[in-house]
Amino acid sequence: MLEPGCRWRCGGEAMSEPSALPYTDTKPVGAADFYTAINATFRFVFARFGREGLRRYWADLGSRYHAPVSQRWAKGGLPAVAQYWREFFAAEPGGEVEVHEQNNEVRLEVRRCPAIAHLRAQGREIAPYFCQHCYFVGEAMAQPAGLSLRVCGGGGSCSQVFRPAVSELAPQNLEDIATLS
Amino acid sequence: MIGCYDFCGHYEWTFAWLEQQGGHELVREYWAKAISEDSQRHAAAEIIPHGFEGMKRYWGHTLAEEAADHVMTAREDVYRIDMRQCPSKGFLLRNGLEQYRDYCDHCMGWIGPLMKKAGFVIDHEHNHCGQCWWEIRRADDPKAPSGPGELSGAQDVRLMPQWKSPRMDLYERSLDADDKTTLP
Repeated sequence: MLEPGCRWRCGGEAMSEPSALPYTDTKPVGAADFYTAINATFRFVFARFGREGLRRYWADLGSRYHAPVSQRWAKGGLPAVAQYWREFFAAEPGGEVEVHEQNNEVRLEVRRCPAIAHLRAQGREIAPYFCQHCYFVGEAMAQPAGLSLRVCGGGGSCSQVFRPAVSELAPQNLEDIATLS
Repeated sequence: MIGCYDFCGHYEWTFAWLEQQGGHELVREYWAKAISEDSQRHAAAEIIPHGFEGMKRYWGHTLAEEAADHVMTAREDVYRIDMRQCPSKGFLLRNGLEQYRDYCDHCMGWIGPLMKKAGFVIDHEHNHCGQCWWEIRRADDPKAPSGPGELSGAQDVRLMPQWKSPRMDLYERSLDADDKTTLP
């Protein structure tokens, strides 16, 4: 982490407004061009480490980088999950996503995935397994909070459901997640 | 989903993950292949055929989209950027994120290989606190970098009171992230 005094020296200040997002920025919406780097990173990790390596990368990203999110979900339960995704998609450019909290679950109805929409608009070749990252990252975020995620769809629109892990949930069938070409 | 709102956070985290998996060379390869050749291919498409004009178009768009506090100075023989508040490093500093030992190296890590293909060399210095400057010249131009204020006047980042930090990295006619001098 930062050495003592660096925040002062660099002029950095922690964000003060409460947010469901653990990391916040000065601009309200992220830069869509970064989706091309996310896509390229998946392709690179897959090329070097194969399918299992890419899944390990996603799982580590979910359980380590996103650990502060899991902690908030563990403390706040499904309302915290719903609020996180509302604020998350509000900060992503070009998406159309509904977040519903009901019947002991949080359901994301992704009508227009901002990442897929941007990559297509830019004419980029999308990594075939791109949509699987939502499951593997999200599941790694959910598990420490006692939750589980199932994803259905992909390729620009999908449903994602977070439920308590104790629920009767069938294992994620990866064939339910679209493969892109 | 992995977002672009906190992209710099998981991008920086990824450097450390890759280094753990495959060492420093894998991180260099990631910058050169995944970022320079794949993600930022639109930069290559502007800069390799169009030179300085392509640099103006590429960085004009991308730094505006990232809301960077910067100044661009374009002459017929040099393209200069004064980054007065880097949005990327600033995000990491504000959020206390530091998994990789030198996040700032990633810029030279992907821009260096691109400029090598395009026939340019880079003079660059960063202070690890969100300020840096770049001067890009044709590879056959032997001119030394400008002095403070010479090209960008009062907007020269080297004139900012917080410019000097305890760890400054200096690149001279460089194209490689490791080809630098760290100044105390």
